[in-house]
Amino acid sequence: MTDTSVESNAPTVPLKDLDDAQFQELYGTDRFTATVLSSRVRYIVDHMCTGLLNNAFSQILRDWYDFAATISGPPAQNYPMSAVSNSLALFLGTMCDAVRNTVEEYGSENLRPGDVLICNDPYRSGTHVNDILFIRPVFVDGEIISFVSLRAHQLDMGGVVPGGFSGTKRNVYENGLVIAPNLLYRDDRPLAPTFNLIFDNARLAALLLPDIKTIYQNLLLGERLVIESVERYGVQAYLGALRYSTDVSADAMREGLLGLPDGVYLGEDGIDADGVDDSIEYRIRVRITKVGGRVEIDLSGTSPQARSSVNGTMLDAKTAVGIAFKYLIDRHTPFTSGTYRDIDIVIPPGTVVSATPPDGAVFIYWETSEPLLHAVFRALRDALGEEAVGGSFASLNLHNAHGLTDDGTPWLTACQTGGEHGPWGATRHGDADSYTVFYTANNLDPATEAIEADIPGVILRKEYAPDTAGAGTNRGGAAVRKDTLWLTAAEHFTSPLHVRAPSGIGVHGGADGAAGACWIFPPETFDVREQKRMLGTNTEVYAGSVPVTGVLDPQTKALDPAGEYFYFASTPNWQTSPGTVFRYLTNGGGGWGDPLRRDPERVKRDVRDEYVTIEGAYRDYGVVITGDPRFAPEQLVVDLEATHARRRELLARRG
Amino acid sequence: MHTDVNPGPRVERQPADGACPGCGKAELSRYPVLSEGGWYQVVKCGACLHSVSRKPWGLLGPITLTSHGLVLD
Ligand SMILES: [Zn+2]
Repeated sequence: MTDTSVESNAPTVPLKDLDDAQFQELYGTDRFTATVLSSRVRYIVDHMCTGLLNNAFSQILRDWYDFAATISGPPAQNYPMSAVSNSLALFLGTMCDAVRNTVEEYGSENLRPGDVLICNDPYRSGTHVNDILFIRPVFVDGEIISFVSLRAHQLDMGGVVPGGFSGTKRNVYENGLVIAPNLLYRDDRPLAPTFNLIFDNARLAALLLPDIKTIYQNLLLGERLVIESVERYGVQAYLGALRYSTDVSADAMREGLLGLPDGVYLGEDGIDADGVDDSIEYRIRVRITKVGGRVEIDLSGTSPQARSSVNGTMLDAKTAVGIAFKYLIDRHTPFTSGTYRDIDIVIPPGTVVSATPPDGAVFIYWETSEPLLHAVFRALRDALGEEAVGGSFASLNLHNAHGLTDDGTPWLTACQTGGEHGPWGATRHGDADSYTVFYTANNLDPATEAIEADIPGVILRKEYAPDTAGAGTNRGGAAVRKDTLWLTAAEHFTSPLHVRAPSGIGVHGGADGAAGACWIFPPETFDVREQKRMLGTNTEVYAGSVPVTGVLDPQTKALDPAGEYFYFASTPNWQTSPGTVFRYLTNGGGGWGDPLRRDPERVKRDVRDEYVTIEGAYRDYGVVITGDPRFAPEQLVVDLEATHARRRELLARRG
Repeated sequence: MHTDVNPGPRVERQPADGACPGCGKAELSRYPVLSEGGWYQVVKCGACLHSVSRKPWGLLGPITLTSHGLVLD
């Protein structure tokens, strides 16, 4: 094979089969030292992240952990990304290519010690313009031996929507400032022209500037720790360990793929609409060909790019595919650029997951990343058998709003009060978690107290909705219901993009989770402050609501899978008066395994904990429970005889 | 509900001459892929996924930047 890629010097046999001499020959160090250094670079990136987390002012960094750090090898090794932080997964797959693209375009020969290079162009580096990639070249004896990088979300980067979070922007010109590869620091001194470029375009400069200084300090920390490592172990061992780290990921993925039956697998998922109107539903299609230890994922046939900023880039598609294969095939080794060694992705330009400039606007790119991951989950669901993983709530249902307090002070909220956290799907190992960000992310949950201290919003509910989780031997996570009362007049942008059909796919005989929705309750219909009680959760309360999105009964406005789709951007920005309540209900997570095989005692526990109602236990699990879960939760009783009868009846109905 | 699901673009695979050194089948074709190390133009076997050649492509693959073609001197 004529392989001109740098990775071709990787071992052709499993790493465990290399003897000590072969290992030394390949990596320039012994196995023990390579392992120590692999762990050390992971320690360095997590240390860089801790430094930023502890010192950030911006809530999206401080409370959301919307950043990631990586260490990459030098140009001569083709920039292997050997270590990634334990943080936002969406960034990680893009950063291996983003560092290469940024450095190569700027010219590695033009870099010198004391530089910090930046780029935020989604088409060059993935994700969106608010995520600036900061790259620090690390020199030893006049040569670049590594890059330490941080990509961190800046709360604003200009554009027509304050904060930027919107699926309604039409092109790169509306989207925000695009920064091509550019120096931010030279000789460890800030470069005024680049800072001016940012701060003449971005809002919220008072928050951004100290955070950028903190990012810079944590790049210095990463650089110092890399140089200390080289001083202790030698440059040859260090560079060998960078390659070894990626070879470990490649080795484990290949080994995992060998366990999957050869074949061609098709999968599909999508998003409800773009930010223009609801005339187009976007579909994401994968055709997975798997032979031996190799796999190819072809995205041909995926819908053309959307007319507004719901698109993702090709590097985001690569990330979503990589994360999907980590969940399904190799869960045990760290994610590195080597994860992709035997994964080829075939991507037609100009689709909703591979948008191109200037019209393929990219902002809420993760709204296509998670469905792409789900398309892979669906494609491989049957082939994986009991190893399959259930689907998540799929859309971050971001809520963004701004307004003025009574004294005229402007306030802004980003991603604090929507349906950003919700359920995952179940696996063979157990029930799913119900409150986290979805599979392609990995962030924190902003504390309610911190949110209420920042903005004039009061979070009234943050709870699990019964009977929304996909039933199974192991239950999917329950949908999250979140109510927020807005104390001032406000303008809201919201983007729930996956309610037309459930996203929480059931696997291995498990059931799908329920689809979610979002509603506005104006104070004229229900005024929490006057009534001095919470808005109820029974179906009658919705009649007075203004639906934002959901498949709902047009009269009662309550959830109805046979109802009508309400389009999330029918009003691009929702203007509300003081006293308005927004309610989000996320999708439910998928179940794993036949629900009729779930231990009735586990079903009883779910009824006690209000994941499942007594009616749901009877309908979905065939378990007959008596008692009062609300007022006598420990006195619930399973009627075993009636349960056996009910389960026999349900089995007979399946035929 | 009025919904139009558009069929999307495809990556065309150009047939390539010869037989696969891996499995012997004459199912080689040429097309771009994104993988470890970035974009490649590959000649690959459709039957066994063996790569006969993998040549590094442009950094951004099929993307044409808005600034493409800018000539400054
Ligand atoms: Zn072949």
